Amino acid sequence: MKARFNGLSAVKIFIYAFFGIFLIIPLVSVFLISFTNEPVNIIGSFTDPAIFSTTIDKLKAINLENYRKIFSNAGYLVSLKNSLSLALVVMVLVILMCIPLAYGIARTNMPFKKTISALCTIPLIIPTFISAYAFIIMFGRAGWVTYFYELLGGEGMLIDPYSKTGIILVQVFFFFPYALWPLVAAFKISDVTLEEASLNLGAKNWFTFIFVTFPLAIPGIISSALLIFTVSFSDFGTPIVLAPKDLNLMVVEAYREISGFFNWGGAAILTVIMIIVAALFFWLQHILTKGKNYGSVSGKPKQQKMVTNKVVTRSLSVYSFIIVLVPLLAMLSVLLQSVATTWGKDLLPSGYTLKHYQTIFSTSLGNIQNSIVLAIGALVLSVVIATFVSYFVVRQNSAKMDFMTSIPLVVPGIAFGIALIQTFNVAPLQLTGTAILLIIAYTIRRLPYMVRSTMGAMRAIKQDIEEAAINLGATPLTAAITVIGPLLLPGIAAGSVLVFITVLKETSISILLAPPEWAPMSLAIFQNILRAEYYSAAAMSVILVALVLVLQGLANYIGKKQRL
Amino acid sequence: MGSVIIENMTKQFGDFTALHDINLEIQEGEFFALLGPSGCGKTTTMRCIAGFEHPTSGKIKIGEKEVEKIPANRRNCGMVFQSYALFPHMNVFDNVAYSLNIKQLNASNPVKQLGIYARLLSKRLGRTPKDIQEKVMKILKYVELEQHAMRLTSELSGGQQQRVALARALVMEPAVLLMDEPLSNLDQKLRHSMRNTIRTIQQDLGITTIFVTHDQEEAMSMADRVAVMDKGKIVQIGTPTELYSNPLTPFIADFVGTSNILDIEVVDRKESNGTTTLKGDSFLLQSANTIEKKQAKAIIRPEHIQVLPYDTEVNKEEVNVLEGIVLMSTYLGPTVRYDMRVGNQEIIVDTTYSSGTSIFEEGRKVKLSIEYGRVLLI
Ligand SMILES: Nc1ncnc2c1ncn2[C@@H]1O[C@H](COP(=O)(O)OP(=O)(O)OP(=O)(O)O)[C@@H](O)[C@H]1O
Ligand SMILES: [Mg+2]
Repeated sequence: MKARFNGLSAVKIFIYAFFGIFLIIPLVSVFLISFTNEPVNIIGSFTDPAIFSTTIDKLKAINLENYRKIFSNAGYLVSLKNSLSLALVVMVLVILMCIPLAYGIARTNMPFKKTISALCTIPLIIPTFISAYAFIIMFGRAGWVTYFYELLGGEGMLIDPYSKTGIILVQVFFFFPYALWPLVAAFKISDVTLEEASLNLGAKNWFTFIFVTFPLAIPGIISSALLIFTVSFSDFGTPIVLAPKDLNLMVVEAYREISGFFNWGGAAILTVIMIIVAALFFWLQHILTKGKNYGSVSGKPKQQKMVTNKVVTRSLSVYSFIIVLVPLLAMLSVLLQSVATTWGKDLLPSGYTLKHYQTIFSTSLGNIQNSIVLAIGALVLSVVIATFVSYFVVRQNSAKMDFMTSIPLVVPGIAFGIALIQTFNVAPLQLTGTAILLIIAYTIRRLPYMVRSTMGAMRAIKQDIEEAAINLGATPLTAAITVIGPLLLPGIAAGSVLVFITVLKETSISILLAPPEWAPMSLAIFQNILRAEYYSAAAMSVILVALVLVLQGLANYIGKKQRL
Repeated sequence: MGSVIIENMTKQFGDFTALHDINLEIQEGEFFALLGPSGCGKTTTMRCIAGFEHPTSGKIKIGEKEVEKIPANRRNCGMVFQSYALFPHMNVFDNVAYSLNIKQLNASNPVKQLGIYARLLSKRLGRTPKDIQEKVMKILKYVELEQHAMRLTSELSGGQQQRVALARALVMEPAVLLMDEPLSNLDQKLRHSMRNTIRTIQQDLGITTIFVTHDQEEAMSMADRVAVMDKGKIVQIGTPTELYSNPLTPFIADFVGTSNILDIEVVDRKESNGTTTLKGDSFLLQSANTIEKKQAKAIIRPEHIQVLPYDTEVNKEEVNVLEGIVLMSTYLGPTVRYDMRVGNQEIIVDTTYSSGTSIFEEGRKVKLSIEYGRVLLI
């Protein structure tokens, strides 16, 4: 069909402009600033000839000096090394920890399998900085684990939460579900006939596992490992709470450069490196999983023999419980702290009260409101954009748009935040410190989830339904609003809950971009933790997690209804 | 209402030419069928008329007006899709009312438009105006669906869905009605009754109709005229009788009805009684038709061959008489179909069957008589 200009083309242009201004230009500017070492106003260059000429001058002066400095600035290099090694350790630990768990869920009849699977989703709904904070309550100087440890004759702390070890532990215990489900899938697909052949040849079960089952699951394992690496590398919540002064990590370093020292060049270089590393690992993972749709490898579901050996299943079950117990105890600790009068170095608080909740409802209700308003804003914007994006991708095969809207997946939140600050802190689009930029940032960052969800629903709508509407006189835009839109609703609803939840949990963007009058819950909790107001931080965390839980329940409910 | 004229239309998809130089002239009020095997370009032709595809070259005129610049939503062609394409989130009434609502929407100012959008998205947000309601109910009554108006389309039978699709296209009073294999999803019986329904409605409204099908029986029984397509070209246009009695090519002879197509050689042209003598594979035939070529094909419809007991006396001066052996007989209700061997050739013969006549059993030697006029030459 010949391209004709109509309402839809206008929408398409709007979406490209939106992403161009709020994603591409910021990324390009960070990239340029990493060379120029001083602010570059790209948007201004388009509107003001004077700015344009200074920009050109700055670009003319580009050199690699700044990049050379990284290798001389020990701080940056060390932070890169630290971040990489942290992500590497977390990756290895998570995989080692998850393999038995995944095997237990995929291939055995271990007791309490359902309960364990359900508990494994807990870590995903908790923002990492709250998990980190929970670890302080448990393992800190006045933590109850420390109390136990000393009771048993230990000295000082069992593990110092404010250390690399602390960060690793939090990430391992709160990120493992990201790897778990792909691993379960990997174990489920391994070829039963091969395993049976091995057993028939007289091989023992453990021998079969090591030499047949395990190797078959290796691609899945590597892919999960890469995913964990990216997640750990990009995580901001844990390090910002737990990283000690002498532990340089990319995310923390970048945050300090921009918010503490206003060192544009330094922040930009760190941002660029972060994006490159995250993108590289994301890409590696992508090419590994490409063309491997685990669910539908073979048309008919294979009859898999479940391991029923009591010793194996029971020990796997105990092992799994220990793993899920850690996040569970962490959350219980936050819950207890939120209702404690005081909780010193003791097993339990010395008394119970609801006054922290009262305090929150009298002084911090604004933060809750802000969170909800911001999340709704991001939600509405995402729904509108995602609906049209999936339309263009599915109906018009717009690969460009598909690619563009996937970019946010590889940009760590802190990097995106820095890019936005550097782009929008000057006229003509001075948006830094406004709720609008915050909402836009949330939207762009979470749009890929929304798009995935609506795209699935869009694929299910046949082309001729839309043609029928046009044939009956509707313009493409009217058809999109009156026919496509309503049919997409289930997909939109599912995506919406996800966006809402992730916006509530969002840490890095909130901390970097939220102005005081628009501080959402996550920022309020973060500030409370920094100010050591642990009790109100705990109460606010409980409210946040409760909100997320309710929404997650809603999402599951919608999902179930859809499947019926 | 209007005529549809297509001039020199060609459509290419990349390197592939789906339509070669199509020329059609469809009269106002005519029921016109596009007939052809799968992949011959019927749907593409129709989609070009509806505006969903744009011809690579050539012209389309609807009601004398060139439509090249008119987008699909303003062509006023009512289309019935093969899959019906009913809106699954709307009930029967709303499906049919859609085009009327859109018409109102397009004629309103932006503020009113918001109201109409709201109404289209949720019934609670507004009522459908009286005049639209009346029009919709009238057409639903017409297709005998008024008592199902509030049902979801998924709760209807195939035939009912078909009628909703028809009503939805008709309610906008289109200049032309386009139907793409509308009956192919229905079972045999329903297909027959829907043929009558569609034909009756078309006659009633006098609406110009283009009907796409690959089922020759459908085309022949419903249409005023039929265009037979093959590999992106139109091979013949004519009334069903013209196509049947005068197929221009063996392809049409075969496609339109069943035919015996025999390779023959013209051995003699007699001027006196106007017959042509033909030499077949192992027999001689006389035809009342003439042809210039030496190597040609003779077309004989199965029902134009009579089967007689072997001992019947026939006057060989007036009809062709051949000897055949019954290979197989198939009882088809009112007719019996025989597969026969004549010389080295196999042919099909259809005879009307009425109680009392006997069926020739397999292996039986018979005589076949064919009138000279029934032997067509191509
Ligand atoms: N969008 C397209 N891109 C490329 N080729 C196409 C496209 N649409 C149709 N074709 C090709 O054009 C030819 C004609 O297709 P068309 O759909 O018109 O056939 P048809 O006569 O309707 O067949 P059927 O009876 O199977 O529906 C086919 O060979 C088809 O593969
Ligand atoms: Mg077709």
